[in-house]
Amino acid sequence: MKITIENNEAKFLFRIADTSLILGQRLAELCSKGPFLEEDIALSNCSLDLFGRAEELYKIIASIEGNKFTPDDYVFRRNEREYYNIKLVEQPNEDFAWTMARQFMHDVWAKEVFTQLLSSKNQQLVGLSEKVLKEIEYSLIHSRDWLYRLGLGTEESNSRTQAAFDHLLKYVEEIFNFDELDKTYLTNVENIEKVWQDEINRVLSEINVERKEIQPLTMRDFRDGFHSEHIGHLLSIMQYLPRAYPEAKWS
Amino acid sequence: MEKGDKVWEVFVQKKSGLPFKHVGNVHAYDKKMAVQNARDLYTRRSEGRALWVVPTEAIVSVPLDQADAFFDPADDKAYRHATFYVTPDGVNHL
Repeated sequence: MKITIENNEAKFLFRIADTSLILGQRLAELCSKGPFLEEDIALSNCSLDLFGRAEELYKIIASIEGNKFTPDDYVFRRNEREYYNIKLVEQPNEDFAWTMARQFMHDVWAKEVFTQLLSSKNQQLVGLSEKVLKEIEYSLIHSRDWLYRLGLGTEESNSRTQAAFDHLLKYVEEIFNFDELDKTYLTNVENIEKVWQDEINRVLSEINVERKEIQPLTMRDFRDGFHSEHIGHLLSIMQYLPRAYPEAKWS
Repeated sequence: MEKGDKVWEVFVQKKSGLPFKHVGNVHAYDKKMAVQNARDLYTRRSEGRALWVVPTEAIVSVPLDQADAFFDPADDKAYRHATFYVTPDGVNHL
């Protein structure tokens, strides 16, 4: 089965849907491995929110595309180069500081993106955005509070948070290389970068984490389906069952 | 438990005006974490619209071995129930 995408709005929405899905999968990997029981459940809740968000977006995409494919097809039958998530969210759960830094960087981006989608001409998308903005707001409170605890905590937690940002910031530049599709379906792309940079700089300055001069990675753009090496491993685990047993059904 | 880790008792209010009910407890290192953990553990199926968290150590309880002294004297004082006088006409809900 070769998944095709015809419509421009669908192409654009894949970027957001795939970003939600891949981050959801990353957080799901921590289920039963959280640092303590309460945080384990918090991470799983957040993961489920992301999966739900992705599913709703794939449903909207499917209807735009004339229901040639189902949300399950989109999730389980595409290869690496057919995924359009930002590279930030496919980075592994190196430690808890990475997980929270990645989450915070994503949440700040997602909040502004969905805020702009409230003005979409697609009413389904407007309805979904209203709903998910509440989830994102909570996730943002949660991830930001953790960064304050980690950054201002012990020497160890601060140095791990610094290391997380030093690494993850390398994957950010591409997010703001907006193309014509982004400019068509978002209302103010420049503001996404401005809001993001302002908030990241504000928080980092308050938690004693330095925003170093980062040498951006010379990797091609996620909008063309390019990734870091991590996505293949993630997909191989996520897609294993439906790939190995295409007829499998929930009973 | 590690340093800084505390147990907090969680109370959920189903909707405004109703009493807060004790539902369980959570571990947390600070107030914000306690209320977030309580939200994630105890309101994920729409159980409430408001939450209290209280450090368990702040709750004072009657020592178990003094329960008889505290509570038994009430057992034979049925007259404390308002059942020994006639309610006036028109009082339907007492």
